[in-house]
Amino acid sequence: MTSSDSSMLHLSIILFTAVFTDNILLARFLGMCSFLSVSRQVKTALGLGFAVVFVMTFTIALDWLAYRYILEPYAIEYFRFILFIVIIAAFVQFVEMAIERYSPVLYQNLGIFLPLITVNCAILGASLFMVIREYNLAEAIAFGFGSGVGWMLAIIAMAGIREKLNNALIPKGLQGPGITLIIAGIMALAFIGFTGVLSGR
Amino acid sequence: MVGRKKTKDVVLTAVWGENPVFRQILGICSALAVTNLVLNTMVMGAAVIFTTALSGFTVSLLRKYTPRIIRMMVEVLIIAFYVILFDQALKAYWPDMSGNLGPYVGLIITNCIIMGRAEAFANNNPPLLSFVDGFSSGAGYSLVLICVAVVRELLGMGSLMGIPVPFFSSALWDRWIIMVMPPGAFFTLAVIVWLARTMQKDTEEKKTKGSK
Amino acid sequence: MSLKDRAWFPIVYMFGITLLLSTILIIFGTLTRKRVKENETVAFERAVLEALPIDLPAAVTPNQIHSIYVSDIREANDSSAGALRYVKEDTLKGFALPLEGPGFWAPIKGVIGIEPDGLTITGIAFYEQNETPGLGGEITKSTFRDQFKGKKIAETETPLQIRNPSEALDGSSVHAITGATQTSNRLAAFLNAYLLEWRKQRMDRKW
Repeated sequence: MTSSDSSMLHLSIILFTAVFTDNILLARFLGMCSFLSVSRQVKTALGLGFAVVFVMTFTIALDWLAYRYILEPYAIEYFRFILFIVIIAAFVQFVEMAIERYSPVLYQNLGIFLPLITVNCAILGASLFMVIREYNLAEAIAFGFGSGVGWMLAIIAMAGIREKLNNALIPKGLQGPGITLIIAGIMALAFIGFTGVLSGR
Repeated sequence: MVGRKKTKDVVLTAVWGENPVFRQILGICSALAVTNLVLNTMVMGAAVIFTTALSGFTVSLLRKYTPRIIRMMVEVLIIAFYVILFDQALKAYWPDMSGNLGPYVGLIITNCIIMGRAEAFANNNPPLLSFVDGFSSGAGYSLVLICVAVVRELLGMGSLMGIPVPFFSSALWDRWIIMVMPPGAFFTLAVIVWLARTMQKDTEEKKTKGSK
Repeated sequence: MSLKDRAWFPIVYMFGITLLLSTILIIFGTLTRKRVKENETVAFERAVLEALPIDLPAAVTPNQIHSIYVSDIREANDSSAGALRYVKEDTLKGFALPLEGPGFWAPIKGVIGIEPDGLTITGIAFYEQNETPGLGGEITKSTFRDQFKGKKIAETETPLQIRNPSEALDGSSVHAITGATQTSNRLAAFLNAYLLEWRKQRMDRKW
């Protein structure tokens, strides 16, 4: 009943919630900048989406460890903003170097997206939510992975819709960000439908 | 000293002409989530203004000494410093509000506007002017979000700043619960951006016509 | 060659700035830490007092809350089954049972007050929640909380029902918040679990 319960069911509920009902983008508005600017094509959206899932899952685990073993023992929790940012930036840098060295193919597909991720507030946001909700490590990883997948799902869907809208007639003032926001609103509406699935959980 | 005209120009461009939200929809992630109540939005806006203004000032003060290669790191550090100050002060002196805003105060660090102003303006301008620029950018940004919040709270809850508004809180008005929920934020912002852009287009066209 | 061009300068500079800013933050953090802790304690104490039939002045200060709490609230004992006891002039005036469970967004923590008979509810209050303001967040408003006063804990599997606002109420049910089905359902789930457990433990003790 309490949040320390880490059975598989409990973890899968956290995962499901993060992907659908509490989608970090559509319900929490995090990662909007890249969502609005990099959602013109499905292909790039897919690449960025994968990079976010990957970075989010790992940084949330690192952030959890740092919070639990560095910040809490010294009672300097308020340093988490800086520490989390540094961890995310360092991790992204490290991954960039690693894949450039060992997998040129992957680097060509994902590499350009990695620098964009450091400034993606969804990554930092997920870590901050993890602190507020007092997740344990397993829950944090489930939440990070779920949030990443949710974000990816949203940006791919958005790119798909925008590709179809290429030749549509849209009022001048609404072109670009305006219409994207309206689509996002309708998507958020659709995702709310998923809350019923979890009722009472 | 800073000329009065220049200061006025800086304020006007930051709040209207180059308003970060209308122009590029920048930096809304950190604040859109709290726009369902006007009061929360105002505190959030104050946090953004506080951070942009003071970080602009500090970055500009240090601009002659900061080595280029670590410029970004220093900027992030300064921004994070002010955000933590604000967050901690809120926790100590207004705990209810701190709870309401949750992690969103901390997320100001990743707000592209603040970093953008530090990079684009504070790096090349004197401290006081950078302060004014930061203050106005923050204010322009907050203004848009407060507009969103007014619409959402009024239509969704029939109140403003927690005070019931006569017609909207009566039985005649069926509260639009969707406005309080996330989709409401997207729709409201879209409409506001639409209006602002259309108005800006009109003035631009008039200007170009006038000069011919 | 000026100071700025030396290879070590950026490192020393970064180090200096970090040191300076961190020092200020640590000083500020240390100064406010006590206050932050006190805020948390008072939030809990206020919830306990609000759940019990205690008349708090409209503009009550944190200090007043703390002193009332210290003088009238006693630790849980065997007969109270985990609930705090409200004792005035050596007579038991009520129980305050702390609750905690998952909300829609984040954990909800609160206190439910019960009369010495162990059946009648005197009130409910929440001291930590992060539900949607205006929807689930309404659980902290008096319109929702006042419904609980005087309700009886029923001898059924759901001692206290939270019903759809269109349904009729009886002596042990209250109305949910319109538009906040998830928050209401989750609250009902853990509230009932706590009440069942509390009743069971008290029964066990009696026999």
